[in-house]
Amino acid sequence: MSRADANIYDAVIIGAGISGLVCGCFLAKAGMQVLIAERHSRPGGYCTSFKRKGFVFDAAAHSFGSYRDNGNFHRIIRELELEQRITINKYDPADIVITPDHTLTFWADRDKTIQEFQQVFPDEPKVREFFTFMASPRPMEIVALRHKSFQELLDQYFTNNRIKAILSYPLFGNSGLPPSSLSAFTGAKIFTEFIGDGGYYPEGGMQELPNAFAHKFQELGGVMKLSSPVVRITVKDGTVSGVVLKTGETIRSRQVISNCDSRQTFLDLLGEQSIDQRVIAKLNTMTPSLSMFIVYLGVDHTFGALPPAGSTLWYLPHYDLEKLYRSAKSSSETDLTKYLLRVAPDGKSVLAMASASFKDKHYWDDNRSNLLDLFIDNIQRTTVPDLSKHVIYKEAATPYTLYRYTGNSEGAAYGWESTQQQFMDPDFKKPSFIQGLYLTGHWTTYAQGLAGVAYLGYDLAISLIRKGKTGKI
Amino acid sequence: MADSIEQGIKEIIAEVAGVEVEEIKPDTNLTKDLDIDSIKAIEITVAIEKKFKVSVRDEDVPKIMTLRQAVDLVVQLLA
Repeated sequence: MSRADANIYDAVIIGAGISGLVCGCFLAKAGMQVLIAERHSRPGGYCTSFKRKGFVFDAAAHSFGSYRDNGNFHRIIRELELEQRITINKYDPADIVITPDHTLTFWADRDKTIQEFQQVFPDEPKVREFFTFMASPRPMEIVALRHKSFQELLDQYFTNNRIKAILSYPLFGNSGLPPSSLSAFTGAKIFTEFIGDGGYYPEGGMQELPNAFAHKFQELGGVMKLSSPVVRITVKDGTVSGVVLKTGETIRSRQVISNCDSRQTFLDLLGEQSIDQRVIAKLNTMTPSLSMFIVYLGVDHTFGALPPAGSTLWYLPHYDLEKLYRSAKSSSETDLTKYLLRVAPDGKSVLAMASASFKDKHYWDDNRSNLLDLFIDNIQRTTVPDLSKHVIYKEAATPYTLYRYTGNSEGAAYGWESTQQQFMDPDFKKPSFIQGLYLTGHWTTYAQGLAGVAYLGYDLAISLIRKGKTGKI
Repeated sequence: MADSIEQGIKEIIAEVAGVEVEEIKPDTNLTKDLDIDSIKAIEITVAIEKKFKVSVRDEDVPKIMTLRQAVDLVVQLLA
């Protein structure tokens, strides 16, 4: 009987999100026996697609960055020899910010973007300096960002609040935070990797990415169990010994990698008796990021008023991002005046999202369909006239839907909030009080976005492989 | 005190670099021997600051090229 038949593995990964999949691929490539257990029926986490009435909708993640020739995500795809299997296109412009007064476009051509900003804000002398810094910050400048907020960074370059809000808004949409709370390091990282080098999309939909990783993982000998929630991480003498699946099946492994929600990892899967009190206290006080209200619209083909397919449009109703954050945090209302809108590259469907707090199931059951129509009204009043006339199919996902599919606490869209206080905390990456447990993905406090979580999975795999070679696991 | 500081910093570097604690000698060069890039440099700096509750001045960060230099800096900051 092989070790896999006996349910003994070198590593078990909980969750087939992008980070878990990438980590699994590299571990399997190094010859390790690896199992990935995923609760959902398909891999991807927030990076999945679904089909309805002939339309393909991306569930949440809808494009990615860091795919330039030496970009981290490109390196991962190349090293796993996936370049021939998925076609990745870049859409230009990647991002367009629209306000009641201005439209500003983030082009792949940085000079063109800089000129556009200089024309709209002629009194701001440091536009070029800012974009140049964001394109390739020097290592020392990066280190100096660790105690700053993104607002403080912006204040070094600009005086006008409008330009600060316009530059911050795509970051708000990628972190759920206003610039005063967003760590400058995370903000700069998002800017460099997703705004400066964004707009990438796999042909066929976002699901193609996790599918390609999952196939590769299995080809390399990895075992993938879908629709298989993990209910417990087993521990013996301060060291992990494996996991138990909902089916009752016991898996033995001296290394467990959690790519799922960190509250769930610690409180539900490990249990309070196995966790340091200090970490329990943190779990009770730390803040998860905002969730999203998402609408999926199938539109008819003759509709020409849509923004360019493949570009992300950010609608900002005013320039006070602190206020936007406070209204998104509201526990009784849902502010749909600010939003992200994206026409899928096939031109057939529209995705729109607005940051929102979790609230509870009843609130969303009661308000979901009204909010869906209200959202469509807001969009047609502000950016896409006549939208409702061309909608053939409509559907909405609420923060509760996101929670139900992925298990992310409060439907959090980006793990823990990327504030300076919650930034780079080793307890959420490699907890010191237990041997053999590792965390990866957006709950670690180290990563941002799809390319960020992919890199984290890669980095963890490389580190475990090194340790394996020295016989220390 | 310097010994426990050294052990603490060694553990941080080992974790971030993905190597064993024993592989890190006082004069191991973080960039050349351990492939520490700017993201990992900030990770080590933040972890040291959190663990020892100190604040490293930005201009001192590039001075941390080896374990020995990191220990000296933290000892100095705690004094």
